[in-house]
Amino acid sequence: MSVPLGYYLVLGAVLFAVGLCGALTRKNAIAVLMSIEIMFNAAILNFVVFWYYLHNGALTGQMFALFAIAVAAAESAVGLALVISVYRHYKSVDVDEMKALKG
Amino acid sequence: MTIVFLTMSAVTVLGAVLAVTLRNLVHCLLALVLFFLGIAGHFFLLRADFLGAAQILIYIGAVAVLILFAIMLTRNITGTEGGRGSLGGAWWLGVGIAAALAGLMCAASRRSGLAEKLPYGATEEGVVKEIGRLLVTDWVVPLEIMAVLLTAALIGAVVIALEEERKR
Amino acid sequence: MDAIYQLIHAYCPTMPDLLALVLAILLPIAIVMGVFLTVFALLTWVERKALGRIQNRRGPNRVGPVGLFQPIADGLKLLTKEDIVPDAADKVVHFLAPVLVVVPAFLVLAVVPVARGFVPVDLNIGVLFALAVSTASVLALFMAGWASHNKFSLLGAMRGVAQVVSYEVPMVLAAVVVLMAAGSLSSVTIVEAQRGLGGWFVCKPWGFVGFVIFQLCAMAEVARTPFDLPEAESEIVAGYHTEYSGFKFALFQMGEYVAAITMGGITVTMFLGGYLGPGSDLPKIGWLISACWFFAKFGIIVVINIWARGTWPRVRVDQLLGFAWKLLLPLSLVNIVAMAVWHFSPSKLVGWVASAVLLAVAIVALVRLNAGAAFEKRSYRFTS
Repeated sequence: MSVPLGYYLVLGAVLFAVGLCGALTRKNAIAVLMSIEIMFNAAILNFVVFWYYLHNGALTGQMFALFAIAVAAAESAVGLALVISVYRHYKSVDVDEMKALKG
Repeated sequence: MTIVFLTMSAVTVLGAVLAVTLRNLVHCLLALVLFFLGIAGHFFLLRADFLGAAQILIYIGAVAVLILFAIMLTRNITGTEGGRGSLGGAWWLGVGIAAALAGLMCAASRRSGLAEKLPYGATEEGVVKEIGRLLVTDWVVPLEIMAVLLTAALIGAVVIALEEERKR
Repeated sequence: MDAIYQLIHAYCPTMPDLLALVLAILLPIAIVMGVFLTVFALLTWVERKALGRIQNRRGPNRVGPVGLFQPIADGLKLLTKEDIVPDAADKVVHFLAPVLVVVPAFLVLAVVPVARGFVPVDLNIGVLFALAVSTASVLALFMAGWASHNKFSLLGAMRGVAQVVSYEVPMVLAAVVVLMAAGSLSSVTIVEAQRGLGGWFVCKPWGFVGFVIFQLCAMAEVARTPFDLPEAESEIVAGYHTEYSGFKFALFQMGEYVAAITMGGITVTMFLGGYLGPGSDLPKIGWLISACWFFAKFGIIVVINIWARGTWPRVRVDQLLGFAWKLLLPLSLVNIVAMAVWHFSPSKLVGWVASAVLLAVAIVALVRLNAGAAFEKRSYRFTS
């Protein structure tokens, strides 16, 4: 009575693509970090989907997803601290202005 | 069941799309919270109850507040971004790449033959106990590494974002 | 919910399945919300009378007999006030913030077993769900302060967020002790694990310390006095709900008070034995007796809350955060160790004595370590 696996794979792909689109097009650094969080969540959803459909009794998918959530949270904390520190230097969070390493 | 899945997916995709396109950052954050709630709902649908609760606890309780603090601390004096400026220059290129990637992943999933699989079976009770047992037997090394990582991230974030007082 | 579904099928077998399912979902929601909204209204009256008596005055006594209709009068006043929204405020966020304060407060009631067999949804992650949902109100606090476009609201909101986030950690750790003892996250299983004489978790040394820690953290989570720094009228111009008037203000007060009530329900479930008590197992009327036991214990928690509000002064913000991080957090960690010692000791007497001694030493040491820093005299920059 459940949904076939393909539906969930399409959902994961669409969410990842939306996150990727945001990370590539947004100008504000924090908006880029939010889009990266969307991509993280799409990947973690994929882990749990594959666990639910193909798990053979082991809980590996859920454990991996749990650790992935923790790592994503740590990464977002450090990323946002970096954005705050860069803001203090450049006085803006526009991604186009942070090109000191260019060329 | 399909209706429930479609509703939850609609909420999730709506949250993600709004988080990527809205102009005001705080509204983007609210859409992101809606997205996190949709993902947590999907976890509950997939019988991963502990993960769903952990998702709400970590993402909505902590990460969203963190992003809100960062938005507050990096506000421009003039206010929100003006005009069509929320997207960069060649925004259609980013959208195109993302759409191509989504199409590629959907085609790959269809070609792999996994797309029609139905779930393995109802998960039994006592999953939380099993997760707890696994965390201290098979997965104890990742657990300890995760503890070190989180401590390092905590200290690192504080050090990076600290005001430099002596550089005058 | 399953019980009501069975009942509907037993009494009206001709009802279509979908309608029976919808009724089985809506009926517990309606009952729980009705009961707890009435309890909320009554408790605001009880609190104002009790606070009045503690402060040597009578409390509200004009509206109806003994002032019983005061909550109705308050509600009508707030409903008919003009809803003022600041011009520069973010309209969407300003509107959503009170809603997001009220919703988690009521959502936790879904896993509180009010009587034997009377929990709306028996989730197998019940307590984790309750803790996770109650932390979702942090975002609403900050949104309320941010959307008002007012520096003092923002400052009050930041203090509120710091307070809630700091007190979440000892609260969850104090709950871990109960989970270790009961072996499950489901609230019904936790209540059933407290059967027997002296079986309530509060009667054990680690349970008593855990109860005290959990109750203090629950009071700080919902920003009740003595921890009501973010919203008190004499601090920061009423903090994050300065710019709210009328029904939105009423929603803030209601959400916060219902959250206090709900946390009281969770405390009763986890530490005081829920609906258990002599006579709650009788076949026919056992559920009624168990409901009476639940509300009696719930009344004890409410009395403790009101008493603390009337007696203790407000805590300063650095004392607040120091109390959470320097005293409650190490104590809750030692509590977990003490529970492990109690559980794995060879004989019961050794277990009780060892865990009690460990906890006593930890409490004395932590209080002695914190006594100097927390309550020293303030030093001022220009006038000393």
